[in-house]
Amino acid sequence: MKILHQIEYKPAKVVGGYTDCILRVNLGKPEIIIQKLPPDFKNKYVGGRGYALKLIWDGTTRETRYDSPENILVMSSGPLGNEPAFPGTGKFIVGTISPLTDTFIDSNIGGHFGPILKRAGFDALAVSGVSKKDLVILIDGGAGTITIATAPAYNKETDDGALSFGESLLKEVNGGELNDTLAAVTAGKGACNARFGIVNSLFFDVRRKRIRSKQAGRGGTGTVMRHKGLRAIVARSNLSKVNGNNAVDKEGVRQAGSKLKAVVSKCDTQQLHLSTWGTTGLSEYMDKFHLFPINNYQYGHSPESPKLFAQVFLEKYFDKKIPDGCYYGCNLACAKGAENVKLTRGPKAGLVVNIDGPEYETVGAVSSMGIFDPHFVMEYNWYCDEYGIDTISTGVTISFFMECFQRGFLTAADTGCELTFGNIEAADRLLHEIAVGKGFGKIVGQGVARGKKWVAERHAARNGTSQESVMAELNKFGMEVKGLEFSMYITKESLAQQGGYGFALKGPQHDEAWLIFIDQVHKELPTLEHKANALKWFPLIRTWFNATGLCKLPWIDVRNPEAASTSEPSKNIPTLDYYVAYLNATTGSHKTLQDILDDSERLYILQKLINLRQGKGTRTNDQIPQRAIGPAYFNEYEARAEYYDEWLQQQLGDSKVPATPEQRHELLMEKRIEAYQHLCDIVYEKKGFTSEGIPKRETVEKFDLMDEQAKKLLSQSGV
Amino acid sequence: MQRLLTKTDSIDMPITDETKVNDALEYVRQQYPEISLEEGMVLITVNHEVAAPDRILRDKDTISFLPLIAGG
Repeated sequence: MKILHQIEYKPAKVVGGYTDCILRVNLGKPEIIIQKLPPDFKNKYVGGRGYALKLIWDGTTRETRYDSPENILVMSSGPLGNEPAFPGTGKFIVGTISPLTDTFIDSNIGGHFGPILKRAGFDALAVSGVSKKDLVILIDGGAGTITIATAPAYNKETDDGALSFGESLLKEVNGGELNDTLAAVTAGKGACNARFGIVNSLFFDVRRKRIRSKQAGRGGTGTVMRHKGLRAIVARSNLSKVNGNNAVDKEGVRQAGSKLKAVVSKCDTQQLHLSTWGTTGLSEYMDKFHLFPINNYQYGHSPESPKLFAQVFLEKYFDKKIPDGCYYGCNLACAKGAENVKLTRGPKAGLVVNIDGPEYETVGAVSSMGIFDPHFVMEYNWYCDEYGIDTISTGVTISFFMECFQRGFLTAADTGCELTFGNIEAADRLLHEIAVGKGFGKIVGQGVARGKKWVAERHAARNGTSQESVMAELNKFGMEVKGLEFSMYITKESLAQQGGYGFALKGPQHDEAWLIFIDQVHKELPTLEHKANALKWFPLIRTWFNATGLCKLPWIDVRNPEAASTSEPSKNIPTLDYYVAYLNATTGSHKTLQDILDDSERLYILQKLINLRQGKGTRTNDQIPQRAIGPAYFNEYEARAEYYDEWLQQQLGDSKVPATPEQRHELLMEKRIEAYQHLCDIVYEKKGFTSEGIPKRETVEKFDLMDEQAKKLLSQSGV
Repeated sequence: MQRLLTKTDSIDMPITDETKVNDALEYVRQQYPEISLEEGMVLITVNHEVAAPDRILRDKDTISFLPLIAGG
């Protein structure tokens, strides 16, 4: 490791959750600057996603792409992300201009890196520039040094792996030992070759006595990191984790945390059992309600699904004796893991590895390829993490190409194999080809949006048809919006969640809104008005979690019994009251829940402005594939004909449904598409947008965001 | 988790013309006291539709006790 640039510094003290300092690193020069933030910055942009949005808004332009030197890779926790007395802290976000969507993406991630970065003196880290050499950044709060160095070389296998390289690096910078005073983020070789590269967050688990990892999976943040020439960042601090936020009212924090811990402790064991199963418990419920994304979201349920239910992973893989929090103090502890799993496929076949996961999303991604083999899930999970690629986008893109093969748009000559649903050998081969950027995997690694263009060009040329007509067909089942692949839920039967995905500013990831059960099962959103209100409220409160350094699960996946007596139980307001108390005790503020929602709305509008600037911010960009709206093809309709016919009859009232199933299918899709357009109209009005989905001037002014750039942008947009 | 405790996927219960959802809940509580089914903690569905506690049950109805899933 050769030091290229180093500065000495005195870490700023954390006070009320903030250090008011950002670490700016330019890898192209190289240069290290500690930027002191003005006092009102935190009041306006909160932290986490808010800080990333502001840095990207000011520091990039509409021409900026993921590989532009001026693109900024931001890592930021928030004022609440550093406190073992409250469950679900330790989160931080990675935000940047995405290689998939060409606009702002952020992905939240657990582990120890965010809290340690904060204790080392920084509310955020912002990396710009591009280096021709592979580099690492070392932030040592204990020694008071920040270093840019060439990436060390161990051996090829270790160097290519995000997990392997990170562990070796942590050992090297810590005298050969691993402990929890330091943590790393890394990006693997696969992130160089695919647009959906991830950032891994590596931390030492003192109970399991091994390095564990969490992932910022969505949108290609790892791809940006690798294109900057950045292989890893290590942060270290010897300061105590206890009262890491240095709260203004420590007793208030303790009380709020105790209340939430009591609810989690009592209720999780009667509800989702996340502390036992992790998120894999969702598979069974998703299958039960036809939401499991089988065969590229064609079918929501399969007799084979039980092979992927939680009990299988619990019995075969998960260590049942050890709580699995991804940060200290979380008694939900859902970050499950497995030790000593032998790989049976791929270039590392025979190797015995430790696996962190799988999460539900990874299980869902494997089901989207029509595969129901739990051991393949485990291997797929490990390889994706080690290569540094997103399990969701990898699975959805492979399943898109599987469907292209199924419907005759591609042949084995195109794909190099019989790319049928359920073909483990083919999926496994593509996984490894994606990571090394070879064969058909090189195409798959570009994601669904670019994959559609590739197929359209090829198919049209071969068959003498127009690319537009082929693209129209591919748009029915290519499961992406704004360039990002869908996360793992079928939305055909929930209009609210169609909006939850369509309006999501980053693309169809459910961290803005997950309304399927509230809408489809609980029936709490019966009218368009109800759905639109939920599509405004939930993205705002969820934005707040991403701005403050918090995990959402203790709030949204553990229902407080007191919520049953509130007017909208699904909002789980009694638990949110603990969060408001935690915020005020930490920062010394006197905010209400409405104040928090207003703060979030400012960030939401700023993100919308970035989307508008980057060409992803209008009604056109909120349109979703037909498969997300309903049964795009007749085979999907047939699989749930009874349900769809009943729905159609409800829409038609006294009128008779058409006589033939084909006619009913056609009319059903017309009605569904119409309903989505009505939803767009009402939601835009609620959000303060024009009918074209552009923020109105008064909306931008309301949140004090009308700077010169915003004025020009809105003028250009005809607003 | 209910399945792990009960070692079965489902149980049958006798009903009359007046048996309600609440009666089924009580029946399961008595059969399996180790399963916690507190009000406000579970979502009760009959034939995949959310059901009120006073809904009358019919022959062949399937009742499920589900967690209140709202997130991810």
